[in-house]
Amino acid sequence: MLLELNHIYKWVQSGGQKIFLLKDINLKVEEGEFISIMGPSGSGKSTLLNIIGMLDVFNEGEYNFLEDSVHNLKEKHRSNLYKQYIGFVFQAYHLLDELTVYENLEMPLLYKKYSSSERKALVADMLDKFNIVGKQNLFPSQLSGGQQQLVGIARALISNPKLILADEPTGNLNSKQGEEIMEIFKELNKEGVTIIQVTHSEKNAAYASRTINLLDGRQV
Amino acid sequence: MIKNYFKIAFRNLWNNKLFSLIKISSLAIGLSVSFVIGLMVYYDFTFDKFHPDKEHIYRVTTEFVTPEGSFYNPGVSVPLADALKQNSASLAAVAPFLTTYPLHIKNTATNKTFKSPDYVIYADKGFFNVFKYKWLAGSKENALESPNQLVLSEKRAKKYFPNTAFTDIIGAHMVYNDTINMQVTGVVANFTERTDIVFEEFISLKTAHQSDMTSAVLSSNWNGTNSASQLFIKIAKNSSAKNVQLTLNKLAKEHKDPNEEEFGNERKFYMQPLQEMHFDTNYYTFDFDSEPASKSVLVSLGCIALFLLLLGSINFINLNTAQATQRAKEIGVRKTLGGSKKQLIYQFLGETFLLTICAAIVSIALSFWLLNIFANYIPTGLSSELFAEPTVIVFIILLLLVVTVLSGFYPAVVLSHFKPIAVLKNQIVASNDKTSLRKYLTVFQFIIAQIFIIATLLVGKQISFLLQKDMGFKTKAIASVRAPWYTMTPEKQQRLLTKIEAIPEVNKVSLAEYPPASFSTSATNTSYFDENNAPVHTELQLLYGDKNYLDIYGIELLAGRKQNNDSITEYVINQTYMRMLGFKKPEDALGKIIKADGEQNPIVGVMKDFNQRSLKTAIKPLAFVGTGGANRKFKTFHISFANVNGENLKHATDKLKNAWNTVYTNEPFELIFMDDTIKRFYSQERKTAVLLNWATGLAIVISCLGLLGLVVYTTERRTKEIGIRKVLGASLLELNVLLSKEFLGLVLIAFIIAAPIAYFGIDYWLQDFANKTKLSWWVFAISGVIMLIVAMLIMGVRTYISSTQNPVKSLRTE
Repeated sequence: MLLELNHIYKWVQSGGQKIFLLKDINLKVEEGEFISIMGPSGSGKSTLLNIIGMLDVFNEGEYNFLEDSVHNLKEKHRSNLYKQYIGFVFQAYHLLDELTVYENLEMPLLYKKYSSSERKALVADMLDKFNIVGKQNLFPSQLSGGQQQLVGIARALISNPKLILADEPTGNLNSKQGEEIMEIFKELNKEGVTIIQVTHSEKNAAYASRTINLLDGRQV
Repeated sequence: MIKNYFKIAFRNLWNNKLFSLIKISSLAIGLSVSFVIGLMVYYDFTFDKFHPDKEHIYRVTTEFVTPEGSFYNPGVSVPLADALKQNSASLAAVAPFLTTYPLHIKNTATNKTFKSPDYVIYADKGFFNVFKYKWLAGSKENALESPNQLVLSEKRAKKYFPNTAFTDIIGAHMVYNDTINMQVTGVVANFTERTDIVFEEFISLKTAHQSDMTSAVLSSNWNGTNSASQLFIKIAKNSSAKNVQLTLNKLAKEHKDPNEEEFGNERKFYMQPLQEMHFDTNYYTFDFDSEPASKSVLVSLGCIALFLLLLGSINFINLNTAQATQRAKEIGVRKTLGGSKKQLIYQFLGETFLLTICAAIVSIALSFWLLNIFANYIPTGLSSELFAEPTVIVFIILLLLVVTVLSGFYPAVVLSHFKPIAVLKNQIVASNDKTSLRKYLTVFQFIIAQIFIIATLLVGKQISFLLQKDMGFKTKAIASVRAPWYTMTPEKQQRLLTKIEAIPEVNKVSLAEYPPASFSTSATNTSYFDENNAPVHTELQLLYGDKNYLDIYGIELLAGRKQNNDSITEYVINQTYMRMLGFKKPEDALGKIIKADGEQNPIVGVMKDFNQRSLKTAIKPLAFVGTGGANRKFKTFHISFANVNGENLKHATDKLKNAWNTVYTNEPFELIFMDDTIKRFYSQERKTAVLLNWATGLAIVISCLGLLGLVVYTTERRTKEIGIRKVLGASLLELNVLLSKEFLGLVLIAFIIAAPIAYFGIDYWLQDFANKTKLSWWVFAISGVIMLIVAMLIMGVRTYISSTQNPVKSLRTE
């Protein structure tokens, strides 16, 4: 088992009232799964993803990730945890505009203190794997959306995470580009990477082995 | 990692060229001013730091405590040195010396004469015991022991004996003033480090008896104090300065002057530590060519540097936090990819450091330029070579680090605190408290700029007030020239006088001493005894001149007459002295007797008050005494011109020069105009004004750069709002008002805070002046308006550009 959510609640105070963003979420994810989270806007999909990614906190409940109880961890340990095991893919790609493709890929490795030769090897592997060797010296603004997202996925994968979290990875792409990205996710999942994605599209959700539907913060 | 940081830092600088330029240039201004001022401070604080036992060396000086205040004399009475030598247990060395100004020195071998050698002293061996010189020839052991011995510095030896080995100079003969034969017995190396011990020629003290200093030595007693007769001492290592001071106090008590005591005067011997000599304005140093160093000037300069540096750093902080939203995405991404807060802080500090280094490079170039511009304000010995000194380099690096932390730390902390989730979800981060800090800082910048503006205007006003205020006598078209005392004979004088009188442009000539207002004064203690009231003891300034003197300077007699002849002393007193004596009407003072130096002097006239010095000081009691009874030989020709201006003034002075040259063939002709002298009274103030002008200019430039940056940022952020408003029908003017309102408010607040601070500051500065200009309200109003106009110009240009943009474009890009 990779992670487990038990009775997760999240709310915000607004005018003396609790507004629930998430209500009693229970979820178990095994290694190697491919999960889609679906639901209308405001149903809490992204909030749930952020909680799983430890970027956001919850008010009540338990969250176990591998051997650790996330709800008991201090902020610093929590960030160490996600830095080690989780890779993020964003709808808006969030590549650094000032860095080239190569440098964008290299950055997570810098933070994880890989040696220079290791970095070179890993980046070269990744460029090769995603067929973007020719674009390594371009800046993000010189790439199409699909290519940017490709770099985004490569960057998420480069430090070999156990879990990829993707928040509407195809949201900014046209359908052909979107299909390609989903194919890549499918391939990765086959190689053993656990993936949780948030999506609006039934078609994309179908790539997953399991779908969780949310409505107004509840699982349905 | 570091490489990555620098890469992204550099690309960021490049992509935001305008902001980078603003940040770098405002920091560069602050830094270059700091460098130059830092060099000045460093220069002045590193004098005489190299002497061995420097903390044991003192100069003994004299302080006269009188009921009117203390007077200071760098000299001591001659017998003090011998008295101290008998007390040698606590002293390692006693070095009495006499400063002297020989007319010329001749090398008898080459028969070459060198005019007015400077830095010449009579000294004995003790001097070389106090100060350790390196002997290039001869030795300390028997230096300056017998009369007619001379020790030269390396520089002088090279000048007097070019191309001669130092050892060959020993035994050579030199003659001072055609009469004093000297034999060179030693050559010492000049001190290479900064020092106030600037002497170049050392004559054995025993020679003084047969020279121009004869009177100073022979007629010396405990009661006379000549500033030429000075004394250095070095305290023995096992003794304390306190004990020596006690000995000095005892000596002062034993040898006090009973006459002085009657007037309530007391003499004190003061031990001036060598380390303090450079800054002690009570007792000068020996180098009269350069201005004395002043700690208070250095402190105010330091403040200017600090303020400008602060202003530069503020631009940095403001623009960096303003740009934060642009950087937010990067921060969020970096954090999710594993960057810690600490790493991000380092990254941003690194970026700041990179910018600071750019600024430093620019500012080192700028400081060379500034050093040129301010050559007049900078001590002559200070050159850009100081940049190479290790202490200075370390200081510069430290300063850069401090600036980096000062201007980079806050933005780095703000930026690194962004929550990645908030950033990535585009929940915008600029919360209210951060913008308000930016506003405080902007207000602070404008307060400083505003204070500088007000101060500049008021100091300028005061100076023009001083220059234009009536001194009480004629100052225009009057000049004086001083005849050399050593070649002056009555015949020559008379010949010159006739020649000058013959020049058509000359109105009147008077032979006298000093002009009515000058840097020199002579004074005497006087007493007036009245039947009814207590006697009036006071110091009375004396002014000497012939019968034309008062006419030339247009000094009006209110009652009585001028002196009749040269044989009796008669006083023409000024109104201030008249009032001090207790007379209301000038006529009442006539015929009264003033006692001075045991003589009875009648008052024969009363003249109108005029200022005897700069208008900084009040009018003092003064008497015009004519030739002073004795048939005095005056040396100064006072000349008033008739109908001269510009072109023919040049003509007239040329004629004067010709007349001079026919009488004094070898002596330089130095004509001093009265209005120039008056200007020179205020040289310090005018320097202050120039420095203030610069400080103000730079402060305004930096603040405006910061303002420009903020305006650019706000307008960019509000592009959409501007677009919408324009679509809804707002006019250009309305948009400009909308965009400028926020900043004009800040300028206004700054003015409200700055005005009282500037008022009290200038009020304090004006306390040194007896004559003050008014702190008029309109000066404050004008300076406020200046600031407002400058700010509006900057905002106007920028807001105009953004408000004229096509709204469709701005709305589409959003």
